[in-house]
Amino acid sequence: MEFSGAVDIPATRDHVFAFVTDPNRVGACGPGVESIEVIDATHFRAKAKVGVGFITARFVVDLEITEQRAPDMAIIKARGQAPGSAVDALGRMNLVDGAEPGTTTMLWAAEVNLSGMLASVGARMVEGTANKMIGQAFDCMRAKIVAEG
Amino acid sequence: MTTETEPRTSAAIGGMGHSVKRKEDPRFIRGAGEYIEDVVLPGMLWMDIVRTPYAHATIKSIDASEALKIPGVLAVITGADLEKAGLHWMPTLAGDKQMVLPTTTVMYQAQEVAAVVATNRYAAADGVAAVFVDYEPLPVIVDPHKSLRPDAFVLRPDRGPDKANNHIWHWESGDKAATDAALAAAEVRVSEDIYIPRIHVASIETCGCVADWDAVRGQLTLHMTSQAPHAIRTVLALVSGLPEQNIRVKTHDIGGGFGGKVPVYPGYVLAVVASLTVGKPVKWIEDRSENLQADSFARDYHIHAELGATKAGKITSLKVKTIADHGYTDAAADPSKFPAGLFNVITGSYDFPNAFVEVDGVYTNKPPGGVAYRCSFRVTEAVHAIEQMVDILAHDIGKDPAQLRMENFIQPEQFPYKTPTGWEYDSGNYGVALQKAMDMIGYADLRKEQAEKRARGELMGIGISSFTEIVGAGPSKDFDIIGIKMFDSCEIRVHPTGKVTARIGVQSQGQGHETTFAQIIAEELGFDTDTAPYGLGTYASRSTPVAGAATAMASRKILDKARKIAAHLLECAEDDLDWEPGKFTVKGSPDRFKTIQEISFAAYTNHPQGMEAGLEAVDYYDPPNLTFPFGSYICVVDIDKTTGQVTVRRFVAVDDCGNIINPMIVDGQIHGGLTMGFAPALYESITYDELGNNQAGTFMDYLLPTAVETPRWETGKTITPSPHHPIGAKGVGESATVGAPPAIVNAVVDAMWHLGVRKIDIPMTPQKVWAILHEKGVA
Repeated sequence: MEFSGAVDIPATRDHVFAFVTDPNRVGACGPGVESIEVIDATHFRAKAKVGVGFITARFVVDLEITEQRAPDMAIIKARGQAPGSAVDALGRMNLVDGAEPGTTTMLWAAEVNLSGMLASVGARMVEGTANKMIGQAFDCMRAKIVAEG
Repeated sequence: MTTETEPRTSAAIGGMGHSVKRKEDPRFIRGAGEYIEDVVLPGMLWMDIVRTPYAHATIKSIDASEALKIPGVLAVITGADLEKAGLHWMPTLAGDKQMVLPTTTVMYQAQEVAAVVATNRYAAADGVAAVFVDYEPLPVIVDPHKSLRPDAFVLRPDRGPDKANNHIWHWESGDKAATDAALAAAEVRVSEDIYIPRIHVASIETCGCVADWDAVRGQLTLHMTSQAPHAIRTVLALVSGLPEQNIRVKTHDIGGGFGGKVPVYPGYVLAVVASLTVGKPVKWIEDRSENLQADSFARDYHIHAELGATKAGKITSLKVKTIADHGYTDAAADPSKFPAGLFNVITGSYDFPNAFVEVDGVYTNKPPGGVAYRCSFRVTEAVHAIEQMVDILAHDIGKDPAQLRMENFIQPEQFPYKTPTGWEYDSGNYGVALQKAMDMIGYADLRKEQAEKRARGELMGIGISSFTEIVGAGPSKDFDIIGIKMFDSCEIRVHPTGKVTARIGVQSQGQGHETTFAQIIAEELGFDTDTAPYGLGTYASRSTPVAGAATAMASRKILDKARKIAAHLLECAEDDLDWEPGKFTVKGSPDRFKTIQEISFAAYTNHPQGMEAGLEAVDYYDPPNLTFPFGSYICVVDIDKTTGQVTVRRFVAVDDCGNIINPMIVDGQIHGGLTMGFAPALYESITYDELGNNQAGTFMDYLLPTAVETPRWETGKTITPSPHHPIGAKGVGESATVGAPPAIVNAVVDAMWHLGVRKIDIPMTPQKVWAILHEKGVA
């Protein structure tokens, strides 16, 4: 599955970049995230509970920032498992100056591969669920960045 | 051909032709059947299976430490454990091999990766969730055409460097040069791609077993739900190294088989290993999603067919090229010499001289394919293709499809008929069956109605299928499975009290064997059917053609001896005796007779000097040929233009299965078979996404028709006895499943032909039909 979009955030690129590359700050916006463990500056482990249709699974996801260039871009790779299900994802983010001074537009794209039980029995609902979760995650990030001032 | 004949025996005896009520029904109706889940043994443990989410991945490590901490979890078995004992691979019935558990690589989504043994089912499930497997995903191949490309990832490197590709086997039949020449010379050619999707038998009882290892006696008892317990025993002996005589496979009532319970699944072997490991009985029962995702599947044939004919509609030639998607291993249960089953029966009911058929088996990242779905040996695929091609030809040249069939049928006087692919059809009378179906449904009136409706813009279609089945495999010179010849057997023992015990070599899955085999004995010997209980069973379908023949032949051996005893008792020559079911009478003296019951008693108490006591016989029947049941089905559909919904308004099925043992059971088999033909035509299919995820893992996505959706079946029959079968029977269990789908497809295409629709692949779901109508500007 491939997703992409653009999000306008009323904050500077430096601010947005610092926020989204800090697992302790961005982590709380991840869908269903229950805990974040920082292994080192570029490796994290998240536990998240995800529901698709009538199935709920608790994933353990290893995340790695494989490339970053502050305050312009970052690439993050994720691989996670829940009993009977697995997820592999690659996300890419580019930050550009927004139309208004002091604002940022985040251009993002993600390729998500879901395998196993969730993909099999939740197939018809996966894409819709993923879109909803992505929307919620960006809403959350924007709100938190604005709140940080 | 004949139509109904009066039964030879009285209703009290209940031989052939009587609708004797099924002996097994009272226990089924009252919920008193015994299925595998009902088996509970003292100290029994539970096993559950860890399955891979990835369709293709390397296993980097398996960590069971957290699972083993869960209270009640006793053991976790991995591929590495099995490898130590050489148990990680097992042979398939097709001569390929299959993983019991992987040691390095998983090959399809939901493949078994580890087994958890626990004191109860809940602990076992918790244990499964706690086993952590570290995978490295590999490229996934779900399309068999891509799998054949030279640059495709080699899925089975275990086959060695000589087979560094995904091609399993090539099989062909017929005369290629003659067929090419005939096609090139044909005035009319029809060419189509026809795909028959992967489907699953979806038995209501899933697979399962209870493995019970008795270390003291060195005996293994495997309670299981299997159609082929003897084959399972042989494979278990080969895999485990246990002596075959120390293995007992006990099959209880089966909640649906249809071919899905022929293969040996890894779960069975794992339960055996678990019982051997912990020394207690171990139960394993699949859940529904496991059943729909990981069992063996049917069909998955990509067929390209070309039909040549004259302008007048006389078929001259057929050429077929097929890609068979077998998943990651060939676990089909086809006879050894027939990797594509009896697919070359694809010339169907038609008389033409040139045919060439080729099939290539291919590996993909899917579970094993190629098992039956109420039709072993690829006859459904063959009938599906030829019956659609014939209809398309008829439409193309503007001839009525019924008329075109009539003009191309093999005629009754041509039997035995040698087909261009080498089969010798034993008997048939196709035109009469089609005419009967046309009369029953009122064909001419329906065509008038269709024309009127079409003028009003309504979509109504009429579809025909005039199929020829091929059952009763088979003659031992050609038919074996992993070397085991496909004869079948019957042993009959008549007790002194005139009661009969018979042991047959086939396993009932609800077809009513207890009743029909008793009726064969009643027919031959005159024992009433209540006195002929049935015991042990073994092998796959083919029951009436092969085991039924064995039963008749064993009965005849008994009758020969009974005649000698009767002559002795009546003090006359054997030639002076007349036989009617139930008694021998001295010719010309109707009051001088001995009943079969009296003769039975005498066999143990007053037999002639020099004769062995007792009255029993064994027959191993090796059929001289297969049998060729046939039929003509006509289906009428209405299509809702706004939703794409296809409604089967009427469906007439005229079947000819030779002489009929029990008309009620035959009717039941046809009703069930029609429903299992209707289902894949309109509802069922297993699809995979590009990552190899099964997209039909529950009954929410794998649609089964219920009684609500199923049309009312109208059945009729003709009777053309098999000339080489001892009782003239042919077998009927699969005919309707084979014959029904193309009748429905042809009806749907017929409804839309004027819109430019030539073909539609099954299942013809509302979405698919609506999309076509939308594209044609109708919806």
